[in-house]
Amino acid sequence: MQQPVPERLQVSPFLVLYLIMSMQIGIGVLGYQRIIAKDAGYDAWISVLAAGLSIHIIIWMIYKICGTVEGDIVAANAYVFGKKIGNVISSVFIFYLLIFALAVLRTFIEVIQVWMFPEISTFWYSLVFLLLSVYIVFGGFRTVTGIAFFCIVLPSYLLLTFGFALKYAEYRNLLPIFDHSLKEFATSAYNMSLTYIGFEIPLFFYPFIKDAPKSQKWAHLGVFLTTIIYTVLAIITFTYFSEAQLAKSIWATLEMWKIVSMPFVERFEYIGIANWNLIILPNICIALWGGSMILKRAYKLRQKKGVILLALICLVAVSFFDTRAKINLLNDWTAKIGFAVTYVYIPILFIATLIAKKVKNKNEN
Amino acid sequence: MRIRSFFWVLAAGITLSGCVEKEIIDDVNIEMGVGYDFVEDDKIEGTVMIPIFNPDKKIGNFTYSATAASSRDLIQEVQRKSAQPLVTGSLEIALFGEGIAKKGIREFTDAFERDASIGARVYFAVADESAKSILSGTYGNRGNAVHLSQLIKHNMETRNLPITNMHLYLFDLYQEGKDPYLPILKKVEPEIIDIVGIALFKDDKLKSELPPDKMFFFKLLTDKFSEGAYKLDVGKEKVVIKDLDSKHKIKLTKRDPYNITVEIKIKGLIREYTGHIVTPEIIKKIEKEFEEQVNKEASAMIKDFQEQGIDPVGFGQFIKSKTRGFDFKRWEDEYKNLTVNVKTDMIITEVGIVE
Repeated sequence: MQQPVPERLQVSPFLVLYLIMSMQIGIGVLGYQRIIAKDAGYDAWISVLAAGLSIHIIIWMIYKICGTVEGDIVAANAYVFGKKIGNVISSVFIFYLLIFALAVLRTFIEVIQVWMFPEISTFWYSLVFLLLSVYIVFGGFRTVTGIAFFCIVLPSYLLLTFGFALKYAEYRNLLPIFDHSLKEFATSAYNMSLTYIGFEIPLFFYPFIKDAPKSQKWAHLGVFLTTIIYTVLAIITFTYFSEAQLAKSIWATLEMWKIVSMPFVERFEYIGIANWNLIILPNICIALWGGSMILKRAYKLRQKKGVILLALICLVAVSFFDTRAKINLLNDWTAKIGFAVTYVYIPILFIATLIAKKVKNKNEN
Repeated sequence: MRIRSFFWVLAAGITLSGCVEKEIIDDVNIEMGVGYDFVEDDKIEGTVMIPIFNPDKKIGNFTYSATAASSRDLIQEVQRKSAQPLVTGSLEIALFGEGIAKKGIREFTDAFERDASIGARVYFAVADESAKSILSGTYGNRGNAVHLSQLIKHNMETRNLPITNMHLYLFDLYQEGKDPYLPILKKVEPEIIDIVGIALFKDDKLKSELPPDKMFFFKLLTDKFSEGAYKLDVGKEKVVIKDLDSKHKIKLTKRDPYNITVEIKIKGLIREYTGHIVTPEIIKKIEKEFEEQVNKEASAMIKDFQEQGIDPVGFGQFIKSKTRGFDFKRWEDEYKNLTVNVKTDMIITEVGIVE
């Protein structure tokens, strides 16, 4: 059990919905359609749905873990593995959050470079963006939550713009349903990792939620909404592109904006991508906040110093990824690590917590 | 502390926003139309059309042409001739000369596909004779590119031209079991451009052309909802029918060999009639005649497609969507033996304001 967080620093349970959604929706959604259609073809939307449903089990586990140890990931690791080993394992999560923030930031800058301004400097853009993120994290968890809330609500209108693609929808593309093997469906669901990860964050901020157990239903609802958004978007994409055409589209979501026509704007992508800044912002903020929190809890490093340290590492590392191939590799690895953390480590931790609890109860008796 | 860091962010934002290359609308040449033609020695001539905004509010046109061995070199050549950088962001129309279209236009469409600044609503069209001659004329008073794109647009929305644009062309090109098609433009008079038919493609190569009087039936088969107008002979009289709303439904009636029924439902009204009076009996007769005409023309057209091995309607894709584990390799032969029945149901709802 860790020291309780004072109430003035805590947030209401329902805000978990926004925190989870804003962390999940980031850069994966810009181009996941091609990656999942590689295996399951145009049946892949079923994989999206199935993968989304499986997340609810993990969410349930996370709340069980945090409820048992009454604390965050650092507390859980210490509870199960003891303080020293626990802290070492927790440090892995700093690395995970760091690579997550890095992948999000670099991929988004790549999008800007490809779609809007080819000359924009990766370094300067990252600097400004990270300065803003650090500034937000300095405001504390409540500020980060506020940003998460606004960055879901404000850009939510973007969903409507995909309606323009419906005019060109060829629903026959989706037929016949279930024309792929189970293995292909599974691979396709696995390839959703990068797009879905982010739902594990209650592990980091659990003590910061007022009446934390009550927030579980909001976490489930958040994941559910994300799943619906991803599934619907996948279906719209599959009806809009023919299969071989989609296989060539790196950013299918953005490419659908090419068909948007409004009297006041020639190219909607410019508005859309500029708005996407807001969607990216909570990704980076929550990752930096989480990373610095672990640094503080495990190594007693002041959070302000921790944030600046992590942001600096991000800033230096971001310049190393300068080509599409390298950025792709970064994304692949982020997806792999994300999958390992959420679908391998969390179940293990869950079982270990149950065992540890049994053993401790016995000892007490 | 907070205020100070806020100012840092603000200062950085203001100073850094100047770091990106600017494109001021008065200082660039906006490429609105582009065309490609074959010239002798297997060389390609590219034409880029830009609007010129005159002080008296008239919009003029200017074209740059260059000859090169490949489409890649063309851009270089044209840029060298242009005093201001050419930007592609508001491209309206791309024309391909017939010679180029016969050899395949993939090489050219790739550049459009790859360019993030080009929208998916750009119109593609095949130029009868030469793309350059079409682009270098003067039509209407809103500039050539707007004139040409509006010409195509209104014919697609309310007349007999099937809906096509860059997105639909690429969709069909990459869709297995479906082939793309584009409108054909021709300069009939120095100031007039006409749509003279539909170019049917096999992959990215022009295979055959459909004359304008068949376009009405073609559109019934390809578009989800279509509008158009058609002139019909009923006995001695002539009647012009405006198709307000029509739908088609494809049904797979038999396999091995495949048998398909296309059900077309047309709702229309009478625009012109040369006889004296339109009675209910005459309406019945017109409906029947019209149904027969559509059945006959559409069936003949499909037969023709089968002989040429092209599939602009997308029967292959349709059967694929109804079959598990569909094999496109066998489809090539199966398509030749496909039987298509066309069934039309026509209702005339109105006859105008006089009987």
